[in-house]
Amino acid sequence: MISRVLVRKYVSASWLLFAACGLTLFSFAWIRVWVVSLLDTSRFTTILDQFKEWERFAPIEFEALITYAGRLGMTFDEPVVIFCIVVWCISRGSDVVAGELGRGTLEMILAQPIRRRTLLASHAAVAIGGLIGLCLLVWAGIAIGVANTSVTEAVPSPTVTIPYINIDVPLSSGSDEKLVVPMSQRVDPGVYFPSIVHLFAFGFFLLGLASMASAADRYRWRAVGLVVGFYVFQLVLFGLGKAAESLSWLLSTSFFSCYKPQKMTQLVQRDGMAAAFDLTTPIEPGMLPPGVYPLILLGLGLVFYAVAGVVLERRDLPAPL
Amino acid sequence: MPREDAGPGGDPDRIVRTERLGKRYGDFEALRDCTMSVRRGEIFGLLGPNGAGKSTLIRLLLGFLQPTSGSARVDGLDVADDGVNLRRRVAYLPGDARLPRHLKGDGVLRFFADIHPGGNFDRSRRIADDLELDRSRRVGFMSTGMRQKLALAVVLGLDTPLLILDEPTANLDPSVRSRILDLVIGARAAGRTVMLSSHVLSEIEDTCDRVMFLRRGEVAKKLVVSDLFQRHRVWAEAAAEQSIEVPPSVADRVSVVRTGERVRMDVSGDLAAVLPWISDQSLRRLRIEPLGLRTIYNEVHDDTGGLDDSSNSDLHRSVA
Repeated sequence: MISRVLVRKYVSASWLLFAACGLTLFSFAWIRVWVVSLLDTSRFTTILDQFKEWERFAPIEFEALITYAGRLGMTFDEPVVIFCIVVWCISRGSDVVAGELGRGTLEMILAQPIRRRTLLASHAAVAIGGLIGLCLLVWAGIAIGVANTSVTEAVPSPTVTIPYINIDVPLSSGSDEKLVVPMSQRVDPGVYFPSIVHLFAFGFFLLGLASMASAADRYRWRAVGLVVGFYVFQLVLFGLGKAAESLSWLLSTSFFSCYKPQKMTQLVQRDGMAAAFDLTTPIEPGMLPPGVYPLILLGLGLVFYAVAGVVLERRDLPAPL
Repeated sequence: MPREDAGPGGDPDRIVRTERLGKRYGDFEALRDCTMSVRRGEIFGLLGPNGAGKSTLIRLLLGFLQPTSGSARVDGLDVADDGVNLRRRVAYLPGDARLPRHLKGDGVLRFFADIHPGGNFDRSRRIADDLELDRSRRVGFMSTGMRQKLALAVVLGLDTPLLILDEPTANLDPSVRSRILDLVIGARAAGRTVMLSSHVLSEIEDTCDRVMFLRRGEVAKKLVVSDLFQRHRVWAEAAAEQSIEVPPSVADRVSVVRTGERVRMDVSGDLAAVLPWISDQSLRRLRIEPLGLRTIYNEVHDDTGGLDDSSNSDLHRSVA
């Protein structure tokens, strides 16, 4: 089903993009841990209070962002992370047929005794393997950042509460004591495993979509355009659904609603790892159990790949332009 | 390597057979009712201008296109049913062979030698060296001619009973062209069958055993090349009132076409038997020339009926 020779070719064709995206994701995730460590969590509360009215645009409640783990969880919604994953998935997915057709190299490859679905499967193996690698590099960046970063926390002065009027009076007049603690004491990188799964599912959906467009088309630019157009359209639906209560029904039409890495971090922190993969108890918002969301993305990705396989098997291969 | 069983209804002597094969794109018929066969061990030429259906026929044989009518078998295998096994028996050089640009020459040879069961890296490398190709260079930095040599080394290095070469000498200099044709003839000597599509008529004449002309998607003519060498065309002028009667003894071998004073005679078979009669005809400005492939080509593809004698002036001229 998978050709070792083709896999080797696809690896050699994509390693540079993988290295660039991987380095960016790893270093960004690491640096972001350091940036988060610069701001004391207690002070972050004050900042968030000023933006309370914008909470509906956030993927989770602001309270969840007061913790270091919650703020680090925002990494998965950062444009840099999303951009790198989207670039990998669309560029690799669109390459499989339309890309090779455009370069004229598909002719010689398919003149060899290999099945078209073997070509698709081999390409998918490299693209999916790369996606897993990129997701793990984000995780590794966070984990290494957490292991090597310390945070400075202000320890409040001891106070005494005056009975009846309930006023806290500090027992000393000096400033708060500063305490330096390793971030690993505040954050367990394991809490991001469900977020990694969501990031992978998000990428897999796009990879399948791009591969399907590529399998059906002869121009890569058109396959990329179709997928990017769909992505932007879905993003607009998601934004509108978030912005206005009357349009909240639009959320159920956008695949972005299935991407909930921060919500997963919050669930794991609150209820344990199993809660993020629960398939029975619905969560707000969205009303589906948390484990179902990545399954929807993975399922749609598989459907796209299956359609790509059928289309590629049946289509005529035009001569190179 | 040839298969004993050529499949149901198949002739084991014919490695390629098509039966009323057709390919239609909407209203456009790229190939219509193409019935042909290629014998094992021969070099079979495909001729026709751009858009005549040569590449469509080849792509149908390789399973790249789904036929809209008819059937085709290669080495006994139906092209619509068993594409993978079929391509084990075929080495194919596309008309515009493009190779992965990120690989070096050696990498390309290794890739195709590994992916094809009939591949052999050392053999491909020897052919590449024979063609004086720099294998250490990346494909992206190779000239068009170098890429063509590399593609030829890939294809000729595969051990398959059938070679399909679509314009193999395009973009190559004359000395390399000659070397390629030697390799093609060598492949036939080794018992392989070659289907050769080319626009260079002299190459077809020099290498092919049989030729098929395609015109607007249809088979226009089939020809045994050795017969061509026993055919001549005589151009002359005769007085308008002079009649030219072909004697019964050579009537089956001589055809005469007159346009005013202009006379054209096509002679097949031994010319010596016809020369005495020709010399008795009081003809002026007599000219005898071999009836080359170019002339046949023009008869098939021109609407002038071949009365333009300038058409045969350069046998080696490309018609593309």
